[in-house]
Amino acid sequence: MEPNEIWLLAMWGLSILLLVVFLYGFYRKYRLANLGVQESRWDKMGERVKSFFVFGLLQRRVVKEPIPLLFHTAIYLGFLYLLLSTTLVFVQMDFGINLLYGDTCLWATLLADLAGIVVMSGVIVAAYRRYISKPTRLERRKEDAIALALIFLIVFTGFMAEGVRILNGDPGPLCRTSPGGQPMDDAAWSPVGVALAWFFEVLSLQGETVWGVFWWVHLLLAFAFIMYLPYSKLSHIFIGPLNTFFRSLRPKGALKKMEIKEDAEVFGVQKIQEFTTKQLWDLHACMECGRCQDNCPAWQTDKPLSPKKIITDLREHLYERGKVLLKKSGEGEEVPSLGGNVVQYDEIWACTTCGACQEHCPVFIEHIDKIVDIRRAMVMMESNFPNEMNPVLRNMETQFNPYMVGNDTRADWAEDLGIKKLSADQDVEYLYFVGCTASFDDRNKKVATAFAKIMKRAGVSFGILGTEEKCCGEPLRRMGNEYLGQMMITENINVFKKYNVKKIVTACPHCFNTLKNEYPDFDGKFQVIHHTELLSDLMKKGKIKTSKKLPAIATYHDSCYLGRHNDIYDQPRDALEAVTSGQLKEMKDNKWKGFCCGAGGGRMWMEETLGSRINETRVQQALDVKADTMATACPFCLIMLGDGIKAKDAEEKLDIVDIAEMFESAMEK
Amino acid sequence: MMNIIVCVKQVPDTAATIKLDPTGKSISQENITYVLNPFDEYAIEEALQTKEKFGGEVTLVTMGPDRAEEALRTGLAMGADKGIHITDPQLAGTDFFGTARVLAAAIKTVPHDIIFCGKVAVDDNAGQVGPQIAELLGIPQVTAATKVEIAEGGASAKVNREIEGATEVLQTSLPAVITAEKDLNQPRYPSLPGIMKAKQKPVQKMTLADLGLNPAEFGSGASKFEITSMAMPSKREGGRIIQGDLPVAVRELVKLLHEEAKVI
Repeated sequence: MEPNEIWLLAMWGLSILLLVVFLYGFYRKYRLANLGVQESRWDKMGERVKSFFVFGLLQRRVVKEPIPLLFHTAIYLGFLYLLLSTTLVFVQMDFGINLLYGDTCLWATLLADLAGIVVMSGVIVAAYRRYISKPTRLERRKEDAIALALIFLIVFTGFMAEGVRILNGDPGPLCRTSPGGQPMDDAAWSPVGVALAWFFEVLSLQGETVWGVFWWVHLLLAFAFIMYLPYSKLSHIFIGPLNTFFRSLRPKGALKKMEIKEDAEVFGVQKIQEFTTKQLWDLHACMECGRCQDNCPAWQTDKPLSPKKIITDLREHLYERGKVLLKKSGEGEEVPSLGGNVVQYDEIWACTTCGACQEHCPVFIEHIDKIVDIRRAMVMMESNFPNEMNPVLRNMETQFNPYMVGNDTRADWAEDLGIKKLSADQDVEYLYFVGCTASFDDRNKKVATAFAKIMKRAGVSFGILGTEEKCCGEPLRRMGNEYLGQMMITENINVFKKYNVKKIVTACPHCFNTLKNEYPDFDGKFQVIHHTELLSDLMKKGKIKTSKKLPAIATYHDSCYLGRHNDIYDQPRDALEAVTSGQLKEMKDNKWKGFCCGAGGGRMWMEETLGSRINETRVQQALDVKADTMATACPFCLIMLGDGIKAKDAEEKLDIVDIAEMFESAMEK
Repeated sequence: MMNIIVCVKQVPDTAATIKLDPTGKSISQENITYVLNPFDEYAIEEALQTKEKFGGEVTLVTMGPDRAEEALRTGLAMGADKGIHITDPQLAGTDFFGTARVLAAAIKTVPHDIIFCGKVAVDDNAGQVGPQIAELLGIPQVTAATKVEIAEGGASAKVNREIEGATEVLQTSLPAVITAEKDLNQPRYPSLPGIMKAKQKPVQKMTLADLGLNPAEFGSGASKFEITSMAMPSKREGGRIIQGDLPVAVRELVKLLHEEAKVI
């Protein structure tokens, strides 16, 4: 055999090894994910392809932050181009197919040099960020360093090989004058190569052997990269975009429904294999960018919860348990439940389900469903939850509300307002679903009253259910008591159907989200709108006119369940602008980045003993922009932020109101 | 192995607004939901913890109309093993002593190493039935327990009671009746499988005749006392702040205290 043939054989031999190692890495991930309960996500193909294109290939979410926009795009596009030109060389040299020739090819060569520079710069920015600026959300583990070093060195050694080749006077491997024509000298089109050639000339490094060494190092590094890829965070290159393809296409705010079967052994998730296959793929998909952690209100107020840590802890556990489970020997083995062990008790119960983690995740990992699945097991199987929840759950069972009062007083707020009850007259356009907070909490009763008065004056035909209304089920589901939550939901749906309800309006974003996005899972399809939508609509149609502008410097606090979970950002602001004379101030965190008030996920009824207080943190943001009025559109936010203002002794400086209340006082009487 | 008995009662949920019925001698049944007496939950929890430690069986005993079975099911969902439900039309209006006689008679039909009760039932707040059962069975009693430590072998128990400014520690032989104060433990929330299983657990229905008791000695006619009337607590009104110049305000306050509140 000729020496050339030996080298070629070595290369092909390595290539096969490489392919085996590469595929096995992904096969292992597949086997681990497949331990879960089967979940199919092959529906709505059009939407999936679009999501893959927009969020996978164009990386719309990755580039929402400026620094990743810079370095990630540089590495991604640069590497993609280098991969493309390497493939071209491969196709040309090993299969003799010429796709590029002549000038076009020379331009492509120039671009490849530039792409190399772009990738190396990207790596430098990324390394600077991780190792010198050191944001808390980034780890510095071995695999982070290896990944960056590999990318950098592959490009670097490529340039070295190019430099020596140019010094040796060899033409480039890519360009010919025409298909099958003469090789072209591309030195003038390889600025980096030329510069390095000078450098090597000074060092007197030249000749075929030197070139061969660089070329082989370059090749081996590239092979190492490919083999390392499925075993490291680099796997996100494939799993990330796939995750955007298989992302949840349910309404954002809707929890996964749990089927309650009488003979089921397990409710919720106690063991890692009780998650679904997609939930386990989520664990593989995380490349630990840490955006979820950065934007988590619990993390930002020094609580132990980091959505990222939950994912990586579960992943580590999946690998550990997976080894045993894949041998089929350890299936019946007693293992401690996930909640309270793999994921700590304080982490699980600190979550407000505000959705910031999910909204920021570039690859659409679904944190909330996992946290709620674990809560479900902790509540329904283990009774392992904060003590404060106990009386709440009991009152829900007997009085259908979380406020420790009798359900018979639910409609007391409406007594003197002349509001129809559906039991007396069901011939109305809207059911006004008041919700527990506006029914029982004194501060929020004023909001219900204001909203009812507005609707009456605008001639909206509506009625309430009175004592036939029950908790919408939202907090129960998010606290993990799916059983009781579903009971409330089905009982409410039965009442809605009894009165032939078609349209529902509510002033509570939590009721709104559940009625609109979750009731359809229980055969309850109604047209549901939030009061800010109705107000904005009535205003546009001229059904309500405001006679004066309130002299308020207002700022709007986005409710998570209205904003992030339902993308309603503009209507409340429109309504607010219509009734205030001052300019609307935006707090540091607003719209899709809105900062939670701390009450979601059932946290409304739990003590907040760890770290600093979420509501006070938010109030400070309002004080920082020198607003004198904080407007909300959510009863929980109203209570939490009101408490925050009191705790900060800022009652003189800052007022808190619901948009409906502002509207009512500005309206033509 | 211990045979553990817990006496329970179904009571109106105190979260609901209580109204009087037109006779003024009892509460209206309208809008009332019934729950397991909260003090009985501590008793059940203690029973379950005792069972977890020593093994054995927890039997719940209740007396009441058909709906009282729900209270048993709640306790069974928490983890008790079976229930005895004494129900008999003749029992309507039975007083505390009658109730104690019925429960004691039912307890005699099953082996019992320790009997837990709630300190009081939150509806009539009497706290008599537990102690009376002990008397009727001729065994010791410790009321309002905040801690129970049963000796190895189950022959005796050390029981703490909170008394004014101190803790009293008593030693009792078993069987005994122990009534539960609310600091005794943290009652568990029934698990969903527990709730599902509770539907299948055995509840034995018994009548006065089954217990060998004479129906004539029970019911409202045989009660040792009579409720003559019930009254709602007077409604609390919001406080008033008198503002303005101090001397004027003071004069106003004195006037109001004299004329409206009629306290001076």
